[in-house]
Amino acid sequence: MGKDAIDRRAFLKGAAATAAAVIGTQMAAANTPAQGAESNSDGRETAPSRDKIIGRPGSDFMVDVIKATGIEYIASNPGSSFRSLQESIINYGGNKKPEFLTCMHEESSVAMAHGYAKAAGKPMGMMAHGTVGLQHAAMGVYNAWCDRVPIMMFAGNFMDADKRRPGVEWYHCVQDPAALLRDFTKWDDQPASLQHFAESVMRAYKIATTPPMGPVVITADGDLAEESVHDEKKLRIPKLTMSIPSQGDSGAVSEAAKMLAAALNPVILADRACRSQQGMKLLVELAEALNAPVIDIGGRMNFPTTHYLCRSADRRALVGQADVALLLEVADPWGQFNTISDPHHEYRRVAKPDIKLIHISLGDTLTKSNYQDMQRFLPVDLPISGDAQATLPALVEAVKKATGMAQRAAISDRVTKLREDYRRMKDRARQEASVGWDVSPCSTGRVSAHLWNTIKNEKWCVAVSGMQWNKNLWPATEYYNFLGGSGGSGVGYGAPAAVGAALANRDKGIITVSISGDGDLMYAPGVLWTAAHHKIPILMMIHNNRAYHQEVMHLQKMASLHNRRMDTAAIGTTIDNPNIDFAKLAQSLGVSSEGPIKDPAAIAPALSRALAAVKRGEPALVDVVSQGR
Amino acid sequence: MRTLASTVLLLLLIASTALAQEQAPAGSSERGHQVYMKYMCYTCHGTIGQGADRGTGPKIAPGMLPYPAFALQVRTPRLDMPAYRQQFLTDQELADIYAYLGTVKASPAAKDIPLLKFE
Repeated sequence: MGKDAIDRRAFLKGAAATAAAVIGTQMAAANTPAQGAESNSDGRETAPSRDKIIGRPGSDFMVDVIKATGIEYIASNPGSSFRSLQESIINYGGNKKPEFLTCMHEESSVAMAHGYAKAAGKPMGMMAHGTVGLQHAAMGVYNAWCDRVPIMMFAGNFMDADKRRPGVEWYHCVQDPAALLRDFTKWDDQPASLQHFAESVMRAYKIATTPPMGPVVITADGDLAEESVHDEKKLRIPKLTMSIPSQGDSGAVSEAAKMLAAALNPVILADRACRSQQGMKLLVELAEALNAPVIDIGGRMNFPTTHYLCRSADRRALVGQADVALLLEVADPWGQFNTISDPHHEYRRVAKPDIKLIHISLGDTLTKSNYQDMQRFLPVDLPISGDAQATLPALVEAVKKATGMAQRAAISDRVTKLREDYRRMKDRARQEASVGWDVSPCSTGRVSAHLWNTIKNEKWCVAVSGMQWNKNLWPATEYYNFLGGSGGSGVGYGAPAAVGAALANRDKGIITVSISGDGDLMYAPGVLWTAAHHKIPILMMIHNNRAYHQEVMHLQKMASLHNRRMDTAAIGTTIDNPNIDFAKLAQSLGVSSEGPIKDPAAIAPALSRALAAVKRGEPALVDVVSQGR
Repeated sequence: MRTLASTVLLLLLIASTALAQEQAPAGSSERGHQVYMKYMCYTCHGTIGQGADRGTGPKIAPGMLPYPAFALQVRTPRLDMPAYRQQFLTDQELADIYAYLGTVKASPAAKDIPLLKFE
């Protein structure tokens, strides 16, 4: 750093000294000790720190690079290992595109970026210490990896030990920051020069956003960021060009079309298949060409719930009678056709033994060994390596071509029964939701119905929800309506992911709602403050069942298996005594709130007030004390 | 084993429907509510036996199983439900739970709830 720093005396002697430089120098001097030279680790004296000005820090160039990707936000807790980059984002970059989002936990930063990417269709950045920050972030990164969501992560680190300050800075430095995450990130790099940084950021963005997508890590070396740019003229920011998602082999697509056209009971299972409204449109076209019911597993919004072929709630029955199943980017294919009971581990085949399976997926192209997110191996009759949405146009055409007159008639004949089955499925869902309508704690079916009634006249997005009711009951026709789950089921995802999605939806006029679990929110409730601070409008409903509810049931099962008392399942699983007052918690973090609501009749007015706050551009929280599920 | 249990359950259902209530031992609905909550039956079945979202547990009231079938399911359950054995949940407590569930009134029909029209 010393040779690049501009000596104050020499600078002032120079004819080019400007008033701005003087002001800058004075400001720098005011923020440094009045006396005393610094020395590095081998005792060599360096110039007094008050005499140093870094005219064009490397972090400014890093900001130029980040801006060139189009990243609009960087979620982060502040950290000294990337202090120069943070300062450059704010003062050099104008804190706009990217804007620095102040977070309360690195896991929240990642989850915000996760939810944002699914709502915005492009990645957000996040920054963290290469050590303690990424350690905090790790679970959120795993969720994003499992969910195949792109996130641009920047890790701060000081590689050159000679320049580290003693103490904390050593604790916060690491040889290989991304090693911790390498099992569940798509790519990483640790650039050794600014040009290297520029190329690696572009490569990282491209890799992250090419299906199958995933999180990536770029280490932003602290020294590289804090030192002056050596030779600006030699630096180049490469043009960012995106890869076209790969279509499945045309011969295989043609074969798949023949199998589907000839099927008597075809079924389509779609999981992370669509990434836009166009994808949904194509899937509707395919389903209608076959009159094949569609099971939307829900990793993404794949199919309109209002369509008579949307039969997600009838999955077990449809899979059981199917002779051909088309899977579109299904994360757990084996689990669609087989079950293992809990806790007795009894295997059961759900599908017919001779069912023919077609799977269009890029799953096999992005698999690592350690973490077992690849799910159990399923033999597939026709596995097609390709992006599902990119393959759909060709498949639709191939199906139309493969369907002869007789087949067209048979396919057409299925309509009446399919429409009747759809109506029955909807009636059943409504009837199930009516049970316990007036009970307190509030039934989840009623909670869901009130939430729908509150937002039904808006453009809406359910960013996060553990309730199946929404998908079974709500009329949803737009790709942005449901964003799917966390991917890895790591708890703590819900609230920050919803806030990230709400940020993406803010400028689109889409009202974002979420139904977060009480246990989930308590992992990192500070994200409520982030939402308030950055004026991110979101209607966050708390499904407050005062427990890590699923774990209660696990303990009950274990106690039964062990032939021991079962009235102790609340120990370690319930979140009461004292009950958490989420309304007060939210208020303390600057979020308007309602609750705790125990009377079902009080839900609707509370939601109306919350929606009014959201329409003013604020976050609002409604705490509903609810049934377990 | 599952087939055997299913067969037994079916036979019991057929045989006992008519005299179901008469065969149920006397129980206290107040105590039954306490026991139901103590053993956290509500985690899967809801606080009034209404069942739960995501297939957690089926609706068990109103429209209860005849007592012998109910008891058989609690003691030697089918599917994922854990067994509640006699040494931890006494016969009297089971009868109390049955009495409690017997007091549950039917919810309004979906067609009578405007919010459930989803239009």
